[in-house]
Amino acid sequence: MDFNIKRKSTKIVVTGSMVESYPHDLQMYKIPPIEHVTLQEFETLALERVTLLRSLATATTLKGLRAFSEEWKEYILSDLRNQGLKYYARLCEITRCGTTDADLQARRKDHIAHFILRLAYCRNEELRRWFIARELELFKMRFMTMSGEAIDVFFNLNNLSYTNISDEDKTSIITYLRESTPYQNIDNMKFYKVKFFDVLDLVKSRKVFLKDGFAYIPHKDFVSVLSAQFRKHLRQSLAVACQHLGEVEQDERLVCLLKGLHQSYSGNDYSNTKAMVPIESLDSLSIKSFPLCMRQLHEQLRLSHHLKHGGRLQYGLFLKGIGVTLEDSLRFWREEFTKIMDLEKFEKQYSYNVRYNYGKEGSKRNYSPFSCLRIINETVGPGDCHGCPYRHCDVNNLKNRLSGYGIDQQAVHEIIDITKKGHFQVACSKYFDIIHNLDIGLGINHPNQYFEESQKLSKGEIKVDVKREKVNVKIENVEDLEIDDFIE
Amino acid sequence: MVGQYDENLLSDMLPLYYSKYFPVKIFCRWLSCGNSPYPLCNRELSFTLADDVYLRYISISDQKELQTQFQKKCPHKLDIGAVYFAKPSIARHDSVVLARELVFDIDLTDYDEVRTCCKEAKVCEKCWKFMVVACEIIDISLKADFGFQHVLWVFSGRRGIHCWISDYEARILDTPGRGAIADYLCLIMGGENQSKKVHLGNDNLHSSIRRALDVIDIYFEDILNEQEFIGSSDRLKAFLKLIPDDTLRNQVEKRLEKLPESSLERWKNFVAVYDSFSRENGYAMRKMKYLVEEIKIQYCYPRLDINVTKGFNHLLKSPFSIHPKTGKVSIVFKAQNAKNFKLDEVPTIHSLLDDSTAESVEHNNNMKSAVKHFQEFVFSLEKAEAMRRKTDASKNL
Repeated sequence: MDFNIKRKSTKIVVTGSMVESYPHDLQMYKIPPIEHVTLQEFETLALERVTLLRSLATATTLKGLRAFSEEWKEYILSDLRNQGLKYYARLCEITRCGTTDADLQARRKDHIAHFILRLAYCRNEELRRWFIARELELFKMRFMTMSGEAIDVFFNLNNLSYTNISDEDKTSIITYLRESTPYQNIDNMKFYKVKFFDVLDLVKSRKVFLKDGFAYIPHKDFVSVLSAQFRKHLRQSLAVACQHLGEVEQDERLVCLLKGLHQSYSGNDYSNTKAMVPIESLDSLSIKSFPLCMRQLHEQLRLSHHLKHGGRLQYGLFLKGIGVTLEDSLRFWREEFTKIMDLEKFEKQYSYNVRYNYGKEGSKRNYSPFSCLRIINETVGPGDCHGCPYRHCDVNNLKNRLSGYGIDQQAVHEIIDITKKGHFQVACSKYFDIIHNLDIGLGINHPNQYFEESQKLSKGEIKVDVKREKVNVKIENVEDLEIDDFIE
Repeated sequence: MVGQYDENLLSDMLPLYYSKYFPVKIFCRWLSCGNSPYPLCNRELSFTLADDVYLRYISISDQKELQTQFQKKCPHKLDIGAVYFAKPSIARHDSVVLARELVFDIDLTDYDEVRTCCKEAKVCEKCWKFMVVACEIIDISLKADFGFQHVLWVFSGRRGIHCWISDYEARILDTPGRGAIADYLCLIMGGENQSKKVHLGNDNLHSSIRRALDVIDIYFEDILNEQEFIGSSDRLKAFLKLIPDDTLRNQVEKRLEKLPESSLERWKNFVAVYDSFSRENGYAMRKMKYLVEEIKIQYCYPRLDINVTKGFNHLLKSPFSIHPKTGKVSIVFKAQNAKNFKLDEVPTIHSLLDDSTAESVEHNNNMKSAVKHFQEFVFSLEKAEAMRRKTDASKNL
């Protein structure tokens, strides 16, 4: 990073003592830091926080660990220690309200780094969403490790007070509480009444009893109330930060750092590609170089000459990302769709969509192709065939599809096993290896990255030793599949 | 009747429909109320003109202007969008969305996987029952669980229903809030590549799911009989895919194959096999404690187009707009009357304007009662709005 660290800002001593500023490990980050930091510290803190957030993301998506489970937390803590971020490990392991110097220093860094990243991540909706999701995971993880005593202090510090519902009220709805609250021992718990929009995560997953717009939650679900507040506050703050970016970026020393921060980890967003891919080659590319999610969409489109909205969006943006021009894209979709509808209907209802993907309609934003994270979390409804096949396909369906592509049974089983454990991206990487006859275990986090890696291989830009014997292609199996489907 | 309806005549009939039948006054009051505290002109309307010419970001400042616009532009279809920070006709999409009714869109095309009587745009009295179930389940959940009081149900004009919630809390709800409600109500998940789309786990069933099942049970046998979900060997095959356990699936298959092709009979036998299997195989049952319920839900539970609900500024067809393809009026109806809703009793622009048609009198009456119901809805909404503003004002003092 070309970042001139020789020019230092002047240092001014913190107002108020550290103990007053940082009484608790967990913060709501309501007040921005007012002390001066050196550029060097600014950069270090920013990068360290990105590492922390990246560790959270890796644990959930790449490692496929269930968020907030023991293994998940274990992975993050050990990763933080390996990366030399002991102070974050300390803050995450047991959240408390000690006052040693190490405690205070850790909290100070946590505080400043959070605010630096706000400046880096307020730039667009995609970044904001990623940042909020990670910060929220961090907040929740830390809240969950708090002792009862630390929780009380935290509530006091943040002026949170709630009274539980009366015993009569509780008795009148006890059957429903037992049905709808996913805990044992409901009878001995105190319940609190909050508005349903304070606990959206519980509403979303149907883990709370709702009545007349109120949610009835036990004490341990307060983490939902707080994280909802945290999320809301952070979202607003990012919007505010975005408006003030202009002032911050008058200092050109900061511009590069802030702009490059997320990309230093996430890589390209593939919205502006230089490559050119003719649509005539899509059929062969879909076999050689498309990840399964895109190959599936391509085949579905060729087969039924139609894709529903989610599929058009996911596949259309991917095509843009690999280098299909707008004109080619229009021609490609038109040729397929007009097999089942007249040209007029296509032009009226669908060509807008295609141009929209290229930023030529509506809000005229140049949309980025979807990343794996986005695709895995897509809502896939009846009639849809987008999403991540490892996540959104029945095992039998996936098995048949893979065997249908001539992948040998053992390899199919390996992929299925990984899929069943919920490691969708690992399964995708396995598929990559099998298709390319390799064993490199690439970390896949973007369909367009998959495509680029594959293209590099086929153009010989990367030399890898082919480790396996040639895969036996068994096409004759295809006929048996439908029967298999029922025996399984 | 639909048979007599000719889309080409629409442009001739619409001016009269808009001046004589469309409830402009009460419509504007409804929108103004939903806009509060912002002026009516901050609301986006959109017109679809003849030949699918699409005009977005139209705004009107009062009833008179709307009437003039109707006569001048003669929209074949009218859609309603969000309330913006500024007048949308000037600020366009740069403006910030401030509020919008919470909306639901349920469309029979999403039932194509289960319904057997019709496909795609077609609809009949048989598959309309799915809409009845959907309407009753969603309505009660919105009112009992979320405490909403101003829930408006509208026939979409062809094959579905829309729901508009005008409560203040619903109007200012942000995208995550809308998403959470949509997800709470959505039990059927998964695309073309997943057969079994309902998974209830093995914990207690949530109260709202129990209540939904009670509604489904009222209609289930009827729908099963009419749709013949498992009435042929192909359908039976599809049904068997919903059973996750091999042993149980084989048992069910053997038993059901031999039976005559009556779905009800086959269903009862399935439940019997399932019951005896569950008594003998405690361990295997953990995966399918609620299998019967899951299948009922997959067949009958509302299938929401949740993107419409989640999107803050998604356009949705207005009440009393004409459906350009059927000529039917998007009439307002009460949830408790959904079960008496008859598709051929819906007024069409033709039957309203041409008093020589057989249905003319009946349809005119139906139109009147739909408008009356809409009025009642708006009155009670206005009352609640006034109350809310009063309490807000006293809070601020």
